Amino acid sequence: MPFDPNDIMKDRITDIGPPKYDNFFPPYIKENYGKWKYHEILEPGVLVHVAETGAEVYTVRTGAPRLMSVDYIREVCEIADKHCGGYVRWTTRNNIEFMVDDKSKLQPLIDDLRSRGNWFPMGGTGASVTNIVHTQGWVHCHTPAIDASGIVKSVMDELFDYFGSHKLPAQVRISLACCLNMCGAVHCSDIAILGVHRKPPFVEHDRVQNVCEIPLVIAACPTAAIKPKKVGDRKSVEINQNRCMFCGNCYTMCPALPIADGDGDGIALWVGGKVSNSRTAPKFSKLAVPYIPNEPPRWPTVVQTIKKIVEVYASDARRYERIGEWIERIGWERFFEKTGLEFRHEHIDDYRLAMTTWRTTTQFKF
Amino acid sequence: MPQVEYKGKVFDVDEDGFIDSFDKWCPEWVDYVKESEGIQELTEEHWKVIHVLQDYYKKHGIAPMVRILTKVTGFKLKYIYELFPSGPGKGACKMAGLPKPTGCV
Repeated sequence: MPFDPNDIMKDRITDIGPPKYDNFFPPYIKENYGKWKYHEILEPGVLVHVAETGAEVYTVRTGAPRLMSVDYIREVCEIADKHCGGYVRWTTRNNIEFMVDDKSKLQPLIDDLRSRGNWFPMGGTGASVTNIVHTQGWVHCHTPAIDASGIVKSVMDELFDYFGSHKLPAQVRISLACCLNMCGAVHCSDIAILGVHRKPPFVEHDRVQNVCEIPLVIAACPTAAIKPKKVGDRKSVEINQNRCMFCGNCYTMCPALPIADGDGDGIALWVGGKVSNSRTAPKFSKLAVPYIPNEPPRWPTVVQTIKKIVEVYASDARRYERIGEWIERIGWERFFEKTGLEFRHEHIDDYRLAMTTWRTTTQFKF
Repeated sequence: MPQVEYKGKVFDVDEDGFIDSFDKWCPEWVDYVKESEGIQELTEEHWKVIHVLQDYYKKHGIAPMVRILTKVTGFKLKYIYELFPSGPGKGACKMAGLPKPTGCV
């Protein structure tokens, strides 16, 4: 039943949802579902899960660029066909996991993955820097301040050693969002890379009335910097530049308010977030570096700053301590001192509940 | 901006087929769009939805939320999809001449 453009509702199938997840379970997962006893990390990137029945499942986790071609996916399928009975899975951080049910099948799988150059790097387990959760960037989105894939590649290249090893005090989650819509996990990651603007939007007065719903634009502004204004006989908006903090929300609502700017846009780095409930409650990440310029194609300043933070953390934190827990133990003033990052006025919160983030105690380290 | 001509009228449209300005809307526009939106015949009920959207837009400067549209017209969302298979935004708003919906859609 080919699609008929003259009768688009004919033979239309809808609301069928995704296929049920257990259709794609390997048989040994299906048999031992809900019966797992314990697991071990055998080496970076390799896990074993043992079931109450005695069954063992070996998992090999490999890094992936998230943005991938059909050819690449076919290669993944080819590996899965060859070693894993055609089964494969993706993780929540977009790594790929190949599973085998017998130890004798593990080494051939690992050898095969290693023989493919760096296309399937093993790692991402335990106290490592695993894959970077990231967004669309200049590949596909219209509101980004920075690129996603390019920066992720540069950072992972520099931290590659930490991907395939367990030499950190705890796992370090890095994520990236190319604007402060924060798609993904930047607000709750150990290290977060965030695209920011530094200039107010340009108002295309002749288009606003036609392409924008003006009340939505006004309501989109978190600092109430936008008000309606008539320009000639056309309805438009006026932006109070002193109230604008360049979030770009109004451009999301109104295509006639472009904000992207080659010189103004750049990167802010945030640290200390986490989502797990282990030891301490989940935390938001907090501002570490307010601005680093865009430096395509390798973003050297960003990469070096992140590396510095990771290295200082790795040498200073106690075992099991996430970056946020480490910083809260030593204090933020020590964090800035140890990492050599500059503390600037941009670090001081000035939005609504800002007062709760200021220091209301005499406890302070010189 | 691409132009389309229909029954002697010329419309400027964007790449998604939304009209460039609400002021340029005319009944012929609805007739022109209906085919690409999978609508065979325009009924009273189609026009009711279109008029509610236009009246609300003229009065408030925004398209109504879906709940307001369903409340005012008395049509449940499911029925609005039966009238406009692409939905209230891509279908009905486009035919009513409203600006293209924005945000993370």
